Amino acid sequence: MKTMFALVALAAAAVAVGPAYAAGKCAAGPKSEWQPKSALESQLQTEGFTVKQIKTESGCYEVYATDKGGKRVNMAYNAQTLEKLDNAEAGEN
Amino acid sequence: MIRVWDPLVRAFHWTLVASFVVCWLSAQVWEDLHAWAGYFAGALALARVVWGFIGGGYARFAQFVRAPRVILAYLGAIARSSEARFIGHNPAGGAMIVALLIVVVATVASGYALTTDALWGSSGAQRLHSWIAHGLALLVLVHLAGVALASLRHRENLVRAMIFGDKRAPAPGDVQ
Repeated sequence: MKTMFALVALAAAAVAVGPAYAAGKCAAGPKSEWQPKSALESQLQTEGFTVKQIKTESGCYEVYATDKGGKRVNMAYNAQTLEKLDNAEAGEN
Repeated sequence: MIRVWDPLVRAFHWTLVASFVVCWLSAQVWEDLHAWAGYFAGALALARVVWGFIGGGYARFAQFVRAPRVILAYLGAIARSSEARFIGHNPAGGAMIVALLIVVVATVASGYALTTDALWGSSGAQRLHSWIAHGLALLVLVHLAGVALASLRHRENLVRAMIFGDKRAPAPGDVQ
């Protein structure tokens, strides 16, 4: 009985804490609610990135760019809010 | 039973299978693992090519790679259900092996190309790599079908043979 309770508590804790580690999610709504790629591209350019490609994935824009130092960067953005995700491979194609 | 497939041929085969599966599942999801498994598959293919020239018996390309007209004739015999049983790779199997090795190398090369400054981030290069990889997957499906057909036709477990190396001894009419 005690072990059961401990396991359930552990599982609940894992579920509660889980989402906190995956900061940012891809957009859930329809494409009509997304911001255009050009908006993201302008945003990235003002941040100093040279954009090579913006790929549309499920609810996310996947960005291939080089930063000011010429280093390659791979990033994912929520297609609706243009919020940057922690996981660049979030919108798996 | 006779010993047909040496340990290197068998180890190569199943390690390549594992590498392909890892590549397929990790694509776009875990790119570092995907690249590592891809380069490993490429190295395996190259090692098999070398072994195909210096290995013994049934591992040698000279033993099982046949001219197109021989391959076509064998495919025709399969269609008429009159094809002979081969102890080593039959002409159709030999053609499949050559095709698979070429397409594995092409897949790896197109993947590597995506890491170069010129092509990194290129949607065209990404699409090409994906296209070739899907072509490889299709070849694999045909390969599986061919192995299944040959196993049924000649009443032997060719998968088991590629694991343990042994096959039923040749009967009259079987090609050694």
